[in-house]
Amino acid sequence: MSVTDICHRKKFLAQGNIYLPHIVVIDKIVEETPSVRTFHFNFKDEKLRKRFTFESGQFAELSIFGVGEATFCISSSPTRNGHLECAINRVGLVTNALHRLGVGAEIGFRGPYGNTFPLELMQGKNLVFIGGGIGLAPLRSIIWNVLDNRDKYGKIDIIYGARSPADLCFKYELASWSQDKSVNLVTTVDKGDKNWTGKEGFVPTVLEQIAPSAKNAVAIVCGPPIMIRFTFPVLEKLGFIPEQMITTLEKRMKCGIGKCGRCNIGNLYVCRDGPVFTYAQIRNFISDEY
Amino acid sequence: MTTKKISKKDIGKLLEGWSRELTVFVPSKDKGVTEMAKWDGKDTGFLEWYRNTVIPAKSSFLPAMEKMFSFQKNNDGYHLELSPDQQKRIVFGIRPCDARAMVIIDKVFTDSYEDPYYVSKRKNTVLIGLSCTNPYDSCFCTSLGVKPAESADVDLMFTDIEDEFLIEEITDKGKELLAAASVVKKATKADDAKAKTEKAAVSAMVIRKLDIEDISEKLQACFTDKDYWEKVAAKCVSCGVCTLLCPTCYCFDICDELSKKQGTRYRSWDSCGFSIYTQMPMENPREAKWRRVRQKVCHKYEFYPMNSEVIACTGCGRCIRLCPVNWDITQILASVPAEQPAKK
Repeated sequence: MSVTDICHRKKFLAQGNIYLPHIVVIDKIVEETPSVRTFHFNFKDEKLRKRFTFESGQFAELSIFGVGEATFCISSSPTRNGHLECAINRVGLVTNALHRLGVGAEIGFRGPYGNTFPLELMQGKNLVFIGGGIGLAPLRSIIWNVLDNRDKYGKIDIIYGARSPADLCFKYELASWSQDKSVNLVTTVDKGDKNWTGKEGFVPTVLEQIAPSAKNAVAIVCGPPIMIRFTFPVLEKLGFIPEQMITTLEKRMKCGIGKCGRCNIGNLYVCRDGPVFTYAQIRNFISDEY
Repeated sequence: MTTKKISKKDIGKLLEGWSRELTVFVPSKDKGVTEMAKWDGKDTGFLEWYRNTVIPAKSSFLPAMEKMFSFQKNNDGYHLELSPDQQKRIVFGIRPCDARAMVIIDKVFTDSYEDPYYVSKRKNTVLIGLSCTNPYDSCFCTSLGVKPAESADVDLMFTDIEDEFLIEEITDKGKELLAAASVVKKATKADDAKAKTEKAAVSAMVIRKLDIEDISEKLQACFTDKDYWEKVAAKCVSCGVCTLLCPTCYCFDICDELSKKQGTRYRSWDSCGFSIYTQMPMENPREAKWRRVRQKVCHKYEFYPMNSEVIACTGCGRCIRLCPVNWDITQILASVPAEQPAKK
């Protein structure tokens, strides 16, 4: 069973023109790292707040009118509804403009787009979440989703790495996951400081040390492309088969709906066929094109 | 199918009749670069000079730059406004290669999410094809299953038969349009025969050939052959012409323009030939030129057929004749290595 077989796509909240964003209002901003902030927001139109649904793994196009539009995964879980959250790294034109906004600012929202994490495939399995840096953002949605339905899943490992302790996102939640006895959280940084109690080293290396069993397990990987590229071979070494390895990819996108052309990996479009893929789907291209 | 005909000297009258109620687009060189543009109401000189437009007829459906919506910030927040695009139009003179290209890219704009700008233009347009009489030596349409003097991808097809055009009514939309035109007459069997001869004759004039058999598989096999792709890309200057002016290239960018508290969101053509096209904050999967050239070639002849069962090329030849460094897709595809290279 491939991801595409079991993932379904929720159609965009139709308002006639698919490129016309809905207006959302920022109602909270959380400082995650020196360059990452999590924006909490909700629809300006109250009816939309009630109607809107999404699933873990899906993404949205956020726009700052006059600056532009960019693609972000939804990092909150649908099991904790009420508002939406996107963790956003300040790197380009749109993200810099977003970081200049305060609570109460209006931005454009198109979505949810893309497929979802294969929850049905994951049920009853041991789950290994492997994240790097801002790559925890999409994983966070599915991690909370799983934790809120804890009895449906087996053992849970979370391996999360960042460049430095300050670069770890969602520190307040890492603390609560580390106290959760049903979760094995391992954090690692390239170089720790004097207060650092976690591991030191790159994510693939730490993964190899932890060596989670591939038996009845699914690995879900998200991080910078270079981390993803080096993580898959380690998983294979641990006995995971490509169908057991799931990732969510990021590419430069404009439309988010399979039209504008730029996010392809081979014949697959990250926005239309993903962003969630099994390694089996993309292994022919990933070493070369991602 | 019953056919009709019209004398070439009556084309002005025919267009004039239509232009009373509809906007008529014809081949034009007013802007220096030939393209489909609004008819001025009198000039039919294009019947003499027109071979094919430099800017493909896709620009009538996916303009080089297009307004998506405007936005304004008031005291109570942002307001968005769409500009209606319900203009009924005729595009007169599209060549069979460019008409096929529209059918090929229709899938992109209708698949799962309908693109409102493109689809409304397609629905509101009657497409009138004009047969080629003088293909360029860069044309290779016949290799892609396009016939230069016939087309079923239009609403009406005009075939050049000396002083007249034979008209085939392909769709009801076309038939309706023709019904009221008094300058159109019934064609005779002799006219049909003339058209048949003409179609075969023009097809034979397309001498450049491209062997597309197993091309998708061959490209798949040499995807990781860096040496081959570097050689292929060596002289490319990444100008983007072969993509921007390709009738089946549809990639676009979305950008905002702002002045004070109001602005406009536009979309404009984009090209996989440019490195910024895939630029991401930390890395760029296609920073190297050979990767971009590979993407362009493989998208048309490998990925697009994998997704849509049709090659995204109609052999219009623009990428050959408009390339500033004489890059030639037919040579490139003929030289795709048959065997996968040994792993280094």
